[in-house]
Amino acid sequence: MIQETHLFKPFDKPLSLVTDAGVWNAPFELDLPDETLLNMYRDLVLSRLLDEQLGKLQRLGKTSFVAPNAGHEGAHVGVAYALRAGFDWLFPYYRDHGLVLALGVPLREVFGQTLATRADPNKGRQMPAHPGSGALNVFTAASPIASHLPPAVGAALSMKLRGTGQVAVATFGEGATSEGDFHAAMNFAGVQGAPIVFVCENNGYAISVALRKQSGSETIAAKAYAYGMPGYTVDGMDALACYYVMQDAVAHAREGRGPVLVELLVYRYGAHSSADDDSAYRPREEVAAWRRRDPLGRFRRFLEARGLWEEVQERGLRDELGRTLSAALAEAEAAGSVPTEWLFDDVYAEVPDTLLEQRESL
Amino acid sequence: MAQLNFVQAITHTLDFEMARDPRVVLLGEDVGKRGGVFLASQGLFDRYGPDRVIDTPLSEAAIVGAAVGMAAHGLRPVAEVQFSDYIYPGFDQLVSQAAKLRYRSGGQFFAPMVVRLPAGGGVKGGHHHSQNPETHFVHTPGLKVVYPSSPADAKGLLTTAIRDDDPVVFMEPKRLYRAFKEEVPDGEYAVPLGQARVRLEGDDVVLISYGGSVAETLMAAGALSEQGVSAHVLDLRSLLPWDKGAVLEAVARVGRVVLVSEAPKTAGFVSEIAATISEEILDTLLAPPARVTGFDTPYPYAQDRAYLPGVNRILRAVQGVLNY
Ligand SMILES: Cc1ncc(C[n+]2csc(CCOP(=O)(O)OP(=O)(O)O)c2C)c(N)n1
Ligand SMILES: [Mg+2]
Repeated sequence: MIQETHLFKPFDKPLSLVTDAGVWNAPFELDLPDETLLNMYRDLVLSRLLDEQLGKLQRLGKTSFVAPNAGHEGAHVGVAYALRAGFDWLFPYYRDHGLVLALGVPLREVFGQTLATRADPNKGRQMPAHPGSGALNVFTAASPIASHLPPAVGAALSMKLRGTGQVAVATFGEGATSEGDFHAAMNFAGVQGAPIVFVCENNGYAISVALRKQSGSETIAAKAYAYGMPGYTVDGMDALACYYVMQDAVAHAREGRGPVLVELLVYRYGAHSSADDDSAYRPREEVAAWRRRDPLGRFRRFLEARGLWEEVQERGLRDELGRTLSAALAEAEAAGSVPTEWLFDDVYAEVPDTLLEQRESL
Repeated sequence: MAQLNFVQAITHTLDFEMARDPRVVLLGEDVGKRGGVFLASQGLFDRYGPDRVIDTPLSEAAIVGAAVGMAAHGLRPVAEVQFSDYIYPGFDQLVSQAAKLRYRSGGQFFAPMVVRLPAGGGVKGGHHHSQNPETHFVHTPGLKVVYPSSPADAKGLLTTAIRDDDPVVFMEPKRLYRAFKEEVPDGEYAVPLGQARVRLEGDDVVLISYGGSVAETLMAAGALSEQGVSAHVLDLRSLLPWDKGAVLEAVARVGRVVLVSEAPKTAGFVSEIAATISEEILDTLLAPPARVTGFDTPYPYAQDRAYLPGVNRILRAVQGVLNY
């Protein structure tokens, strides 16, 4: 039997709640206050502007690496707003700046991580695009694809065992669903009814490898059924569809009804990373077609249709966010670079003698 | 002869072997149209088609494990794992299947395959794009391990690795991929495994290294020669088998040795060499063997260069063995 959460039946086409023209088109009433809608839009725009800013830093040689987020913002904001920030645990991957920002990770820390300054709570240990925050239960990202999924299940089992009422949410690309770790995690979560939501940000490519070479399944969501959990495919360019499905999935997990897999159909407008040239494997028309479905544009039209937004507010918001970004960047730079000796800390709880000796030999 | 950099030498060799032997196939993530993230297979998809240049799903277990089956069945697969740091999801296949197939079947089945691993630091990649996991492989009987440092050796050794009847882990120092070009023979060119290459002749101290660290070791030798110290530099090129004869001969003659490797110090491959020297030619030594290595920490991002055994650390170790 195909499992389902309460609000949604498994869809035969990707679920969308707001039309391209920005019209609410759902079988239920919108129940979010205007203020929340405006905050969501603000987070969408902030993420886009951050992405542009990081691209600039990379081109200026100030950072070694960026993983473009543009095109994923609707998914990021939808997921973040469905979580109880700082209470639930997020297990992100490297294309989740928009998500961690919307959860409350300070911009200063994101820039600190990007530039490896003391503003990074992860102490400059990792390459850019790998955020983490102990304060907000954001499990520091690791590069090896899908390696964070079994730990996410473990955390969810601990939540269940300890009765904390929390939920674990793990994000990953569709490429990650080919790794054994994905299947090991899904299976264990299914067996144990762990309170976890698996969120696939399906942008159709794993670097150059297109979805059809990645998976023989019709959808990523279909993989849920084999592990005994509900699976949903959602229009990831529709932030509100992402939010409502995620909110339902999180409620399902929180109520002890077990794990859910949510597939969010998105697109990355940019190359895989600053080390990639996507023109070799993606037709320009395809990129252009997805850009026309932009999650920011759709959300803005939605706000405008409800009388909540006008051009003057747009300009004001962009100016304000521009200033916020500059100030955070300046703060992160002013924190100063990470000292060389720090490389020996945190290998273990206490620095062992062998490492004290090696530190002397620097 | 053509002037090629390291990656170009790899591409050229793959092309040469694929043209020569229809059993040679490539598989890995992005190796097709994209030509691999480092462009090592650039152009080969167009030349040999999707059946011989296979873009795999994102699974190292599938890549390495399928290579074992292909090899056992009669192909000569060359698998690319995008970074050596990503071998771990395929590690079980490498260690449990590839390395032990011949042994467990009493020689009835075997896996003539190559796993190419771009490895090493100095590229601002943090711990998941910089590691040197060779110790895992040399500690796994049944595998052969190669780690060249120059374009010509890359060709000679990759050729031998592809033609070898056992699984070969072929590590490539990615910070040297485009660092320099050298003459690479156009035609048939095979370098046997287990032969070190003398990079520099000298009599005051022996410097032994392999892979990416050969570059810093040669720079240190250059600095030493300006100070009037003549270093004998050995590039091991392959670690399993390794050239015990060349090492013991040089060290016994000179009496002083510094071993350079960017892998973490504890149980690193050079420790094996130091132990062998101590066991077999202790009486010829004028100073204890010295190791200059990466630190026993994960590879850091912010301190990318400080982690690597650079010229200064090598020179300090040389001073130590000279003044012993
Ligand atoms: C285990 C592992 N193998 C290979 C890589 C190299 N790599 C980095 S990103 C990537 C593609 C991931 O695609 P996907 O999961 O779809 O996420 P996206 O980048 O599209 O968001 C690959 C192959 C890696 N990081 N980890
Ligand atoms: Mg993808």
